[in-house]
Order: sequence, then C-alpha cells, then structure tokens
Amino acid sequence: MAIENHNTGNSGGVRPVVEKGEHIIARHLIEDDNIKEEKNLVIDGVDVSGRWNTFIISRVDSDFDRSFFEEIKKTVVGSRINRCWQCGMCTASCTVTPLYRRFNPRAFIYMMQLGNLKELKKYIDVAWRCVGCYKCSQRCPKQVNPAEMMEALALVIKKYFPEEVKTKLKLDEEVKKIYEDMIIGHGRLDLAKLHTSAMQKSGKTKELLGKIERDAIFKMAKDGRAFSILRLGKPHNWSRSKEAIENYLHKLNTIENGEAGV
Amino acid sequence: MSENILVIGGGPAGLNAAVMLSELGVNVTLVERDSFLGGNPKKFKYKFLFPDMQPADNVIGELIKKTESADNIKVYYSSEVSDFKENGKKFDAVIKSTSGSETKTFDSVIVATGFEHFDPARDAKYSYQLFDDVIDIKDLERMMGENNFVRPSNGKPPKKVAFILCVGSRDRHVGNQYCSRVCCTVSVKQAIEMREHFPDCEAYIFYMDIRTYGFFEDLYWKAMEEHDVQIVKGRIAEITSGPDNTVVCKGEDTLLRGPFEIPFDMVVLASGMEGGSQSPEISSKLGIELDEHGFLKPENVTLSPFKSNKPGVFLAGACTGPKAISDSITEGAAAAMNAYTYAVKNR
Repeated sequence: MAIENHNTGNSGGVRPVVEKGEHIIARHLIEDDNIKEEKNLVIDGVDVSGRWNTFIISRVDSDFDRSFFEEIKKTVVGSRINRCWQCGMCTASCTVTPLYRRFNPRAFIYMMQLGNLKELKKYIDVAWRCVGCYKCSQRCPKQVNPAEMMEALALVIKKYFPEEVKTKLKLDEEVKKIYEDMIIGHGRLDLAKLHTSAMQKSGKTKELLGKIERDAIFKMAKDGRAFSILRLGKPHNWSRSKEAIENYLHKLNTIENGEAGV
Repeated sequence: MSENILVIGGGPAGLNAAVMLSELGVNVTLVERDSFLGGNPKKFKYKFLFPDMQPADNVIGELIKKTESADNIKVYYSSEVSDFKENGKKFDAVIKSTSGSETKTFDSVIVATGFEHFDPARDAKYSYQLFDDVIDIKDLERMMGENNFVRPSNGKPPKKVAFILCVGSRDRHVGNQYCSRVCCTVSVKQAIEMREHFPDCEAYIFYMDIRTYGFFEDLYWKAMEEHDVQIVKGRIAEITSGPDNTVVCKGEDTLLRGPFEIPFDMVVLASGMEGGSQSPEISSKLGIELDEHGFLKPENVTLSPFKSNKPGVFLAGACTGPKAISDSITEGAAAAMNAYTYAVKNR
C-alpha cells in the first residue's frame, strides 16, 4: 500500500481538520496520542483527505522487544533486571509512590523487561522521582536492586526520548544549584540545609522557626546531634574527587553547548 | 506359603510397589494395559526429570529392570482386570490378556492406574491441533527426547517460544478446578533446557501463579536468573495465526492492565493431569470411591492417602491426584507396606 503524504501542499477544496479526531463518535474514549490524522492523504492513488484519513492506533501491544532488555542487562545499574518477578515489594516500600501514584518501580521494571517503550513514554515526567532511599533494594526478595534500576530507567529515557525529556521535564535551576554546591562542596548531602533552602525558596521563611522546628532544634542541641551536623566533615581526600567531578561537569557543559551550537 | 498381591498399573508407583513386595518374598501379579512397562514417563518418552535433570531412564529404566529380573513378579502386558469379586477377606480377579483369561485369588490389591495428560484439543481457545506450531508439554518432552526440537510447521528452529501455564487446570470451563501441581515445574524445566541448547530462542512464560512448590522453586529462580526466561502475567484467551507463519497469543497483561497480541514461532501448552477414563472404570469394577475431580478417593486424605474405602484395596501414585514422579514412587512403597500388612494379618 503506497501512502503519499501531501501535508505541505494544499490541494484546494479540502476541508481543514479543525480538531484531532473530531469525526470519531465516541471521541472521549480515545487517547490523543492514539489518533493519527493527516491533512491530506493519498493511498494507492485515492485521495482520502477529509474524514476518511483519521486512523486510531490500536491500544493492543503487538510485540515484546527483547533487545531492550539485553541493553539494560549490560549496564552496571540494570544488570539484575532478569531477576525481577514482579512481586511489588519495591513499590510497597517506596517513599515516593504514596506521593506520586504514577511512580511505580515495579511497573517500570516490567516495562523495561518487555521493552514496552510505548508504555514507558507515558511516565517520562515521573520516572525520575526516585529519591534514592534504597528501601526497595533492602527489601527486594530477589536482590534486584530496584533503586539502581531506576537509574537504568533514567538512562534509558534520556536515550530514547531526548525531545520529550527536554519539553516535559522542567528542571528547577535553583534547586539544582543548591544540590550541586552541596555535593561538590561537601561530598555529601546536608538534609537540614536542603530543607531550609527549600523552605526559603518557597517563601516559607516564617515556618522555618515554627513550634515543631524549634522543638526539634532544642532536642537535637540537647542530645548533641545539632553539633555533629555543624561539624559535618568531608569524605577522605575529597579535594581530588571534587576536582574530577568539576572536570566532568565542565566537559559535559562544553559538549552540550557545542551540540546546541552555542 | 507366600502371599499373592495384585498390582494394577506398571507406572512409577506400581513398579516400585511390585519391586518392594517382591523383595519381601511376595508373589506379585502386575497387570499393565500397555505392551510395555513404565507408564506415562515411558509412553511419552520423558527425557530429563526435574529437579536435578537426571535422565528419566535412571529412574524408570531402573524400576523396569528390577521388575523384569524378579522371579516372583508375573507381568501381564496389554491386559486388564475384567472381573473382580471379594472372597471373604481375599479377592478373586479375572485377568484378561491377549493370551486369554485367568482367574486368581489375591490377599490384597494395589491400584496404581495413574493419570492421563489433559488433551488441549478439548479447549478450543488454544487452537491445539489446528496449528502445527501449538504443541503441549508432553509433545515438547518427546521432541527433546528425540533431539528434534524444531517448529512442526516448517522444520526450522524457533526463535521465540511461549509457554502457557494452567492449560486444562484451574479452569471451571473445562471442568478441572484443581491445580495439576507439576506443570509449572515441568514448563520451567523445559524452558531451561531450551535456553541451554538454543540460546538464540527467547522463552516467555504466561502465568497466573507460578507454583513451583518446595525446592522446585530453585528451578524457577534459575530459569530467570541464569537463563533470562521472561515471565508475563496473564492467561491466554485465544491463539490465532499471525503473519510470517506465526501463532499469535491474545491475552491481558494484568500487571500493566493492557491487552496484547504477541506473535510467536511456537507455543507450548502446559496441559495438566486428569484421572482419565481408567479411574471411573477401575472405581466401578473394584467398588472403590471416585472423587469429584475424577481421581480415586483415598479413605482419609491426610492420615491414609494410600488406602481406598475398601479394606484390602490400596492406592498409589497419580490415580489419587496430580503428583510428581518422586511422590508416586514414595506412595508405591507406602502402599506395598500396607498391602503386605493386610495380607499377613488375614493369612
């Protein structure tokens, strides 16, 4: 079947398509992404422009793509993907799932196993939400290490959906800066500082010294934890690691700027 | 004077019972409906047995050898018990074989009539016998046994194979509500064998639950972790033909809540176990009870699973329900002990 696309030229007299799939009677049942419509379409020499060129893509999965599984298995973080038997212990223990129901490590691993990119694509906005608490990895009965599998997921999404990542993921530059400075400067996360920064950023400076916080500070001062936070040290030989990270980031920036033509 | 005991069925359970009794000095009469000993494992040429992949011949062959070499075991091939009567505490049985009928008196009886593989053709949704590339576990076992693992449709090695669990089991639609116990482990074992010999061939297992009970679980872990066998949750509702000479499995992925129609080169149905036609037959002939699943009913399923409701008639192996070969062999020994005790008591 030869399909010609005449989207560029406008042959006169064709009614312009106003809304995607407007002719479909039960339009509300069909997802936007599943409707394929061309302005002007010729199939086998027959002009099917207008209402006959609306196609609904089937919701049925029509194949498993094992090459994708092999690709993930080769990475360090995803090497144990073959172990997962979908018990859901990771999602059950997840810190993030109660906040974002759509973030479901179990389902993400399954989609990766079956190479279901069509499904994965729907979760680009939440797939990065793993906070790295590693509760899932600690509880996983098959030692799949789901926390690191989420890193594999991030790599995959970055590789296969670069455009969507750019448009759908809004990185908060301020938070990124706070986070990076903390890691590069100290070699570890200072949760107290991260908390205060976040509160300040959202304009909740008043609440910073609310009753709960005051009580916490008093308690921590009493048992000595407050002082150990102040004395927060750096990992051994941190200056060399810091240098390496900075070099890497510098290189990365240069490449990205080069690609963007800056 | 030594005891006379009748063993009906020459599969793993019956053979082991006969061997045990002969070692006790009992005169054993073994009635086998086929022209050979070994039961279903021999009939369908099982090659390797789970869990340790030992050759089936090591087990079945060994039992057959012991049976044939024993002086006090009389084997009737292609035969059946045509008439059965109680005679006080003893039993009179007519054994009908190709060489005519013979009436003998026995002190006790062991029934080890076994099971039959569920015939997947009975469940039309699986298109068994409609498409050459839809086979079941006993067919695959035979193919492996004959070193002839190719697609029946074109003789070429498959690249993508689906195993479908619970065919003819756990399905009220076909009348079998029970779990057949061993098909999960057999399928997992076959998937491992397949991946070992044909690493290019992808293996998928469609399951509702994977019931590789006890230490058989090791095989299930091994299949995933060492052989990359992929499990997909969902039962298959329809098998149709697809493009490029493929067979398409239609089902629902219950974990993603999405329908799928996946083409495969070959589909292996894990058909379960049934009491077969021999169970009701033997039940009416010997006057022992049949259960609601079509297997023979033990007197007490926990305390005496090897006893029938009739004193002096004992049960062994898969005639009382789906069972692994090792369990059948154990029950053969247990039934032998009980049949011997009964015979000695009523001497």
